[in-house]
Amino acid sequence: MDEEPLAHYEFPILGRAYFLGGRASTSVKRCLTEAGVDEETIQRVSVACYEAEMNVVLHARSGYVAVSVYEDRIVVAVVDQGPGIEDIELAMKPGWSSASEEARSLGFGAGMGLPNIREQADEMRIESTVGQGVQLVITFRRPGRPSQRGERRDG
Amino acid sequence: MTLAEAVEVVKAEEEVAARDPGVELTGCFAADLMSDVLAFAAPGSLLITGLTTDQTIRTAAIRHLTAVIVIEGKEIGSDMREAAREESTPVYRTPLSKYEACALLMQAGLRPCRRRAAGSR
Repeated sequence: MDEEPLAHYEFPILGRAYFLGGRASTSVKRCLTEAGVDEETIQRVSVACYEAEMNVVLHARSGYVAVSVYEDRIVVAVVDQGPGIEDIELAMKPGWSSASEEARSLGFGAGMGLPNIREQADEMRIESTVGQGVQLVITFRRPGRPSQRGERRDG
Repeated sequence: MTLAEAVEVVKAEEEVAARDPGVELTGCFAADLMSDVLAFAAPGSLLITGLTTDQTIRTAAIRHLTAVIVIEGKEIGSDMREAAREESTPVYRTPLSKYEACALLMQAGLRPCRRRAAGSR
């Protein structure tokens, strides 16, 4: 049986809408605070969410962030519809960026996004189909909570 | 060093008020690239920046930075001001360049924000 999350939140992300950039991540941060998640985990999730959200805003047409809160972990999925990533390994290199001039004028496109997400997360999985989009799934273990995965019993 | 003391050092003017100007700063970070702020700035720090967009505020809020000081006397636009009020992030303006502002703050004893060790968060 699939594990049910304690809480689940989803927020849309509009591509190229720079003035909305960061709103979804700020909402995630607020929801996790209300859910009683510890401050350290909220920081890690918020930073990673913001980087992932800005990647969607800078490069894709649209997307969403989905956050699932479990007893022992938080799982964040960021999915977009857009050009996708041709070379994921290259995109993971600090300093490498394909951001537009407009994006750089807003203070983004330094090429730290994906490396920073990997730095914050305990697990990171990224898949992309060129011409369709990117699916990013990041997992953050909650401190002081033993892993529930593989230990759940029915009844 | 408190926020009020740092503001005094760089002769900054208040644009969006702080609830507690007496708050102790944990350090200082200077950057215009928001990805760098997300990657390297530590919570509780002061941000010195030339970027005057609402993204500066959202980044500072996500990173729990104490306040933002904008350099070169740049104008704070309405989008940045509105975001700062929403996020309760104090904003100041200094006539100084980024280099001079940082140099004076360092001389006055405000340390760089503590960098995280490689492999840690």
